Amino acid sequence: MAETLDVRGEICPYPMMRTVTALKKLSGEELTLCVVTDHAPALDTIPTQAARLGFRTEIEESGGSEWRLVLTRMEEEEGA
Amino acid sequence: MEPQLVKNVTYATMAWAAGGLIYAATHRVDTQFAMYWAFGLGFGFVLQRGRFCFASAFRDLFLLGHGRNMKGVLVGLAVGSIGFGLVMSRQVPMTFLGILPPSANVLPVGVHTALGGVLFGVGMVLAGGCVSGNLYRMGEGYVASWVAFAGLMGGLLASAFTWNWWWDNGISTAPVYWLPTWLGHPGALVVTLLALAAVFVGVLVIEHRAGMVVPRTPRNPVAAETVGAELRSVARTVFVDGWAIIPAGAVLGGLNVLLFTAQEPWGFTGEVSRWSIAAASLVNLAPPALDGVANLPGCVFVPSDGSFFNHMLFLVVGMWFGSFAGALGAGEFKVRIPKRRARYAQSLGGGVLMGYGAGIGMGCTIGAFFSAIPSLAVNGWVFALFLGAGAWIGTQMIQRIQ
Repeated sequence: MAETLDVRGEICPYPMMRTVTALKKLSGEELTLCVVTDHAPALDTIPTQAARLGFRTEIEESGGSEWRLVLTRMEEEEGA
Repeated sequence: MEPQLVKNVTYATMAWAAGGLIYAATHRVDTQFAMYWAFGLGFGFVLQRGRFCFASAFRDLFLLGHGRNMKGVLVGLAVGSIGFGLVMSRQVPMTFLGILPPSANVLPVGVHTALGGVLFGVGMVLAGGCVSGNLYRMGEGYVASWVAFAGLMGGLLASAFTWNWWWDNGISTAPVYWLPTWLGHPGALVVTLLALAAVFVGVLVIEHRAGMVVPRTPRNPVAAETVGAELRSVARTVFVDGWAIIPAGAVLGGLNVLLFTAQEPWGFTGEVSRWSIAAASLVNLAPPALDGVANLPGCVFVPSDGSFFNHMLFLVVGMWFGSFAGALGAGEFKVRIPKRRARYAQSLGGGVLMGYGAGIGMGCTIGAFFSAIPSLAVNGWVFALFLGAGAWIGTQMIQRIQ
C-alpha cells in the first residue's frame, strides 16, 4: 500500500513543498507516493519537482476539483 | 457528455448569464460601469484559466527553480509595452519637451518605491498570492484568500495613516523618470523589450541549473470529424483545460493595452484603499486628508467621496466574478479551508504587508509593475527589483513555517 499525502486545503506553495519533503523522506524500498490535492497550480509544478528527484508523475482527476498524483520512482535506465 | 461536465456547463452558463445581466443593468446607469465590469470579467477569467500568479512568478524562481509564471509575466509585459508605447507616442509626440503621458503609471521614484516593493514581495509570498492572485482565488473558493484580502484592506488603511509623512519626506520631491524623455519612443521601447528578453534568458538559465522541466502533457488529441466535434474541442481548450502560460500572459497584456486605450492602465489597489478608508470612516477612524494624491496617476490612494459605486468597483468585483465563472466551467470551484492555523496568520500578515507596501509604492504587482513597465517608466523596474528581493526574503520565511 503506497503512502498517501493529503495536502487538500493548503495554500500555495505548500502542496508542492510538502510533496518534495515527503519524496525526500521516502525510504529506498518505497516506490510510490500518492498526493491528493485540490490546488490546480500544483499540477504544473509537482511533475517537474518530482522528476528532478527521480519520480514519474501520473495525474488522475478525481472530480470536484481534486486530483490524485501518483509519483513513482523511476528505474535507473529511464531515470533523469 | 459525462454528468460532471453537464453540471459544470450548467453552473457556468448561469454565472455568465448573471454576468451579462449585470452588464446590461449597469449599462443603463453608466456605460463606464459596464465597460469596467466587462474588463473585470475578462481579467478574472484569464487569470483563473491561466493560473496566472505574480507571487509564484518571483517565488518559484527561488524556491523551485521553475519559471512558468515569470515567462508569462514577461510576455504580458512585452505585449503591454508595445501597445502602451504606441498609445503614448500618440499622446506625447514630442518627448524631449519633458511632458509626461497623462494617464500612464509614471510615478515618483525613491525609497518609498523600494520599501513598497520589498514589503509587497514578502507579503505576497507569505499570503500565497498577490492582490490579483488572491482576488481570483477568492473566486475559486480559497478561504485563506479572503483572509489575505482583509489583511490587505487593513494594511492599506495603516499605510494611509502614514502617507502624509511619506509625502513630506520623499514622494513630493522625488524625481519622475520616463524613458522616452531620454531615448524617444522607439528607443525606450527597444531598450524595454531587450531588458525583458534578457530577464527571459535569465529565467531559462535558472531553470536549467535547477534540472529538467517537465512540460504539461497536453490532452490526447482526438481528430475531430465534424464541425460540432471541433467546436467542442475548442470550447474545452478555452473553458475546461488550464491555459498555457504564454497565451495567458499575452492576453492579459493585450487586455491591459485595450483598457489603457479606452481609459487608463490596469490597476485597482487605489479602489481597494477607497473601500478601506470608507469602512474606517464609518467607525470614525478615517485617516487625515491625504496630500498630493489628487495629482498622482496610477493606483495611489483614493479618498472616499461618500459614494458607494465607482467604475473601479466594477473592475475589482468583475475580476472576482470572472474567476468564479471560469472556475465553475472548469469544475475547479471548491471551498478550500486550510487545516493549519498558521496559514490564516500567514495570509492575514501577508495581506497587511502587501497593503502597506502597495500604499507607499502606489500600486501592487499590477499597477506598480505590470502596468508601470509598459508605461516605459523607471519606477516599474525599481519596484520589480525590490519585489524580487522581498519575494526572496518571503521564500526564506515560508520554508521555516511548514
